Amino acid sequence: MSASTATAVPPVSADPVASFTAAARSEWVKVRSLRSSVGSLLAVVVATVGIGALVCAVDDGGGDSEAGFDALFASFYGLNFGQIAAIAFAVTAFSSEFHNGALRVSLTAVPRRGVFYAAKTAVVGGLVLAAGLVAGFAAFLAGQHLLGAKGLELSDLGALRACFGSAVYLTLMALFACGLTALLRSGVAVLSMLIPFLLIVPFVMGDLAAGAADYLPDKAGQLVLQQNPDSSLGPWTGLAVTAVWALAAVVAGWVAVRRRDA
Amino acid sequence: MTCIEANGLTKEYGAVRAVDRVTFSVEPGRVTGFLGPNGAGKSTAMCLVLGLSRPTAGTATVGGRPFAGLGQPLRHVGALLDAQAAHGSRTARDHLLTLAAANRIPAARAGEALEETGLAGVARRRVRTFSLGMRQRLGIAAALLGDPGVLMLDEPSNGLDPEGIIWIRELLRRLAAEGRTVLVSSHLMSETASYADHLLVLGKGRLLADSPMRAFIDAHVQPRVRLRSTEPERLRSVLLRAGYEPELGEDGRMTVPGARAARLGPLAAEENLPVLELANDEATLEEAYLALTADETQFAAAPSVLAQEV
Repeated sequence: MSASTATAVPPVSADPVASFTAAARSEWVKVRSLRSSVGSLLAVVVATVGIGALVCAVDDGGGDSEAGFDALFASFYGLNFGQIAAIAFAVTAFSSEFHNGALRVSLTAVPRRGVFYAAKTAVVGGLVLAAGLVAGFAAFLAGQHLLGAKGLELSDLGALRACFGSAVYLTLMALFACGLTALLRSGVAVLSMLIPFLLIVPFVMGDLAAGAADYLPDKAGQLVLQQNPDSSLGPWTGLAVTAVWALAAVVAGWVAVRRRDA
Repeated sequence: MTCIEANGLTKEYGAVRAVDRVTFSVEPGRVTGFLGPNGAGKSTAMCLVLGLSRPTAGTATVGGRPFAGLGQPLRHVGALLDAQAAHGSRTARDHLLTLAAANRIPAARAGEALEETGLAGVARRRVRTFSLGMRQRLGIAAALLGDPGVLMLDEPSNGLDPEGIIWIRELLRRLAAEGRTVLVSSHLMSETASYADHLLVLGKGRLLADSPMRAFIDAHVQPRVRLRSTEPERLRSVLLRAGYEPELGEDGRMTVPGARAARLGPLAAEENLPVLELANDEATLEEAYLALTADETQFAAAPSVLAQEV
C-alpha cells in the first residue's frame, strides 16, 4: 500500500477495447475457478460424443434400408443432451451474477455494463464454441466409425457442415440461454423453462414437419446436422433462424442489464 | 483530490424516497462515518455513488467524475457492499483474481490483500466454508485489492469478532492517515465513534448532519460536570450564585449541566470547598444521535400531531 496512489487523480477512461479484453479475462477466470462450470463444459463434449457413439453402435446391427435413416444425424444424437450441458453452463455463468449482490461486485470492477455484458457473453459463447467444435468432430468421427459400412467420411455430403454446424448450434443455444438468464435474472427459471421445452416439445410436436414448429430454435438449428433435411428450411437458413432467436434473447438480456439497478 | 461528492442525489422506489436530495462531500485523510438506522438509505446512497443504481435526480462523482467513467475503477475506489457476494464455490484467492483480472491488477496483489486481511491461511479454501466474519474480511480484501484512494465500506464490522472489530478500527484509521478517502457506513454508534473523524447522518433518506464528530456531539448534547464535595449544600449555593443549576444526587454527588470542569474547579477553590471528585461528563455519540433524531421525529410529526394522538 502506498500513499502516493491515494492522492492520484483518476485517469481518463481506458479505451473500450482494453477494458473489454480485461473484462473477458476476468470472465475466463470466473469460469476456470468454478468446478461446476468446467464440469458442464466437459459434459458438452462427453454427452455429445458418448451418446452419439452409443446410438451409432446400437444402430450398426439395424437394417440399411430403414426409411429416413440419416447416418449423419445418428452420430449427432448426443447433441440433444450436449446442448443441455451447454445451456446449463451458460445459465450458471449468468445466474451466479444475480445471487447475493455478485453483480454489484462485478460492476464495481467493470462499471460499463456494455463491456461487462459483451465480455461475459463472448466468453461463454467462445468456450461453448470451442467445446462444440471438439464435440462435433469427435461425435462425427466416432459415430461414423461405429456405423461401419454405412459410415460417412468427412468429405461426404453435409459432413463438414454438420461438424461445424453442431458447434455453432451449441453456441447459439448457449447464447439464447445467456440472454434469457440476464433477462429473467434466475437460473432456475430459465432451466425449468428451457429443458422441458427442449426435451418434451420435440416429442409432442413429433414429426409435424410443417408449420411453426420448423421455426423453433432447436428444431430449426438441428437441420444443419441432417444429410437431407426434410423441412421448409435449408440447413443454413435453419441455423440462421436459431441465430435470430439467440440474438433476440441476447438483446433482451442486454436491455435488462443496462436498465435495471444492480 | 479524490473525494466523493453527491449533489442533490435522489432515489425513488415507487412512492418511497430512499434517498432524498442528499448533498455531501467526503474528504480524503479522514474517516467519515455514514450513520443512520437500517433503512435510512445509506446502502442506496453508496450504490448510487457506484453507479449501481440510477439516481432519480442528482449526481454523484468520485474524484470529480462519475464512477462509471473511471478506467480500471478498482485502482481508485474499493467498495464493500455485501459480504455474501463472493461465489461460495470459488476459493478466496480466485474470487480476488477474477476482480484483479478485470482491472489489470497484478495477481500478486491478491495474495497481499489476503495477507493484509488475515486470510492468507485460508486463501485456497472455498468461500462457502467461511464464517460471516471471514467473508467480511474477504470483502475488505477485495476493496483493498487495487490499492485505491477511495474506500466505501458498508457495515464492514458486521459479523466480526471483538478482535476483528479492533482490527477494522485500526485499519480504517491507518487508511485515512495514508491520505485516503474513507467512507464507512454503520448503524452502531459506539463502533462509529471509535474510528470516525467526520459524520454524515442519514435519516429516512435525508441528510440530517454533516459535521466533524466532536462538533456533532457538542452541538446536540449539553456538556455536564460531575462533582462530589464534603459540603454539597454550600457548593450548591455557590453554583446557584454563579448561575448554574446543579442537580443534587446521593452521597454529596451532583451534576451540573452546561458547565465544564475547568470553570468549576477554580470556583470551588475560591470558596475553599473541598472537592472529592470533579470530571467532565463526556457526551457520547449515541446521546447526540438520539438527541438529533428526537428533534427530527418531533419536527416530522409536528404537522400531523392532532391527527394522530397516540
